[in-house]
Amino acid sequence: MTGYLLEFSQALLALLLAPGLVGFVRWVKARLQNRRGAPIRQPYFELAKLFGKDVVMSNNASWLFRFAPYIVFASTLAVTFLVPLIAAPLPFDDIGDLLVVVYLLLLGTFFLALAGLDPGTAFGGMGSSREMTVAAIAEPTIALSIFSLALGAGSTNLSQIVTATLTQPGSALSPGHLLAFAALFIVSLAETGRLPVDNPSTHLELTMIHEAMILEYSGRYLALIEWASWLKLTIFFSLLANLFIPWGLALTFTPAALAVAVVTLILKLGILGVVVAIVETRIAKLRLFRVPELLGMSFLLALLGVTSSFLLK
Amino acid sequence: MNDSLFSQLSTLGSSVILLLGITLLWRKSLHAYASIFRWQSAALTLMFVIIGYFADDPELYVVAAVLFILKVLVLPRYLERMEKRFGDQRELQPYVNVVTSLMLSGLLVLLAYVIARPLVLVSDLPTRGGLPLAMGLVFVGLFVVITRKNALAQIVGFLVMENGIALLAVLATFGIPIIVELGVFLDVLMGFLVMQVFVYHIHSTFESIDVDQLNELKH
Repeated sequence: MTGYLLEFSQALLALLLAPGLVGFVRWVKARLQNRRGAPIRQPYFELAKLFGKDVVMSNNASWLFRFAPYIVFASTLAVTFLVPLIAAPLPFDDIGDLLVVVYLLLLGTFFLALAGLDPGTAFGGMGSSREMTVAAIAEPTIALSIFSLALGAGSTNLSQIVTATLTQPGSALSPGHLLAFAALFIVSLAETGRLPVDNPSTHLELTMIHEAMILEYSGRYLALIEWASWLKLTIFFSLLANLFIPWGLALTFTPAALAVAVVTLILKLGILGVVVAIVETRIAKLRLFRVPELLGMSFLLALLGVTSSFLLK
Repeated sequence: MNDSLFSQLSTLGSSVILLLGITLLWRKSLHAYASIFRWQSAALTLMFVIIGYFADDPELYVVAAVLFILKVLVLPRYLERMEKRFGDQRELQPYVNVVTSLMLSGLLVLLAYVIARPLVLVSDLPTRGGLPLAMGLVFVGLFVVITRKNALAQIVGFLVMENGIALLAVLATFGIPIIVELGVFLDVLMGFLVMQVFVYHIHSTFESIDVDQLNELKH
């Protein structure tokens, strides 16, 4: 019973933290660029505003366009049940391992791309085609980089990977882990539409990817999609934080351990947020045609990670 | 414990050196080539120091010092001077494009694993984990030499390949005799100077250091 309670509180925590994390990244970025920046709670207001607004929809939009936001949101929310956010052996571990996580995330991306195509606008189609270009290289890289951890742990189960790293602290510094971390970091930036792949803060026609797909959405649909994409960022950050640096996770379901786990999770997310803000301030967006090169690099890193954890066991 | 730490450090160091070599395939400006080579040589120097410490071989410190002076200070400085003189000519159209060359370099590293496997299996050195990586670096350097058109990029490719050989030697033997090591350094320096003269000649003949233009000599 406590296990299920834990699962639901973990998902709820991720849902509530996601807008805060995005607000925090935006705030740090603004500070680094000598701007005052919106308060960290701004994304919560944005969500509240969007949920309160009416939906305006194109006459050409089909049922797909109306259903896609729910599918995107639900598939992303489902992932939060499967990823060890605050505690390691989860009751839902038997439901899905890393492959389920990767493909649930891809399911959301797929429906978002379909929804971008559905109303038949020029920008939507362009965004969808770009998103698929990125996703086609990014998804196998995510799977490969987590595989390189799975090889060390002997299981594709995320909780078992985490506990294996906890019992063998030395393996956190092995080349397989470090290469996989670098690969997953690059892919996280690409998948969540951050710089240098996509710029989350502009609506510039020529360069946008994620924003182009959701250009036709408004009201609560837009709120759901935005929330899902922030949730995705939170999921990727917690994968990076907890798979590679699992210390702080609760191994027993006692209140004290869980409190420590929540605090360390927030700390880790904060540190990663600062890193991403610095990266985004330091570099310019890549030309679209150089994006596959960057993703190719991260695929190569993941491949080398798998090779070294497989052959150096 | 000491041994496992040593083996982990050496594998980690070799991975970093190999990765820097692979980044060469991704970057295009000559300035980046020179700085990547400098960082890689610095990492290599650190590897020499680490191996010297764990294998308790003071000679390796001397080699590391010479390596530092030659490959971190002198050669990158020369490369930067050449780059300044020729203007920052970018490697715009290599014979193999960037994505393909990244994938191919991944395959080359896999090939190195296959080739080095018997060696790794029979050896009981703590550094055996880095051997395939060092061999992979030799292949990647060679790959840069044969697929890039820019003469300076080819020189850096050659130097990276030489770094790979040095890494392989120190991982496999814990330091060959110092006189051999110094001979190799002298060789590299001489090779570099000769290549530099060639590049100046190419530049004064064609006003460019794109070696593809040398093909015109055939007609």
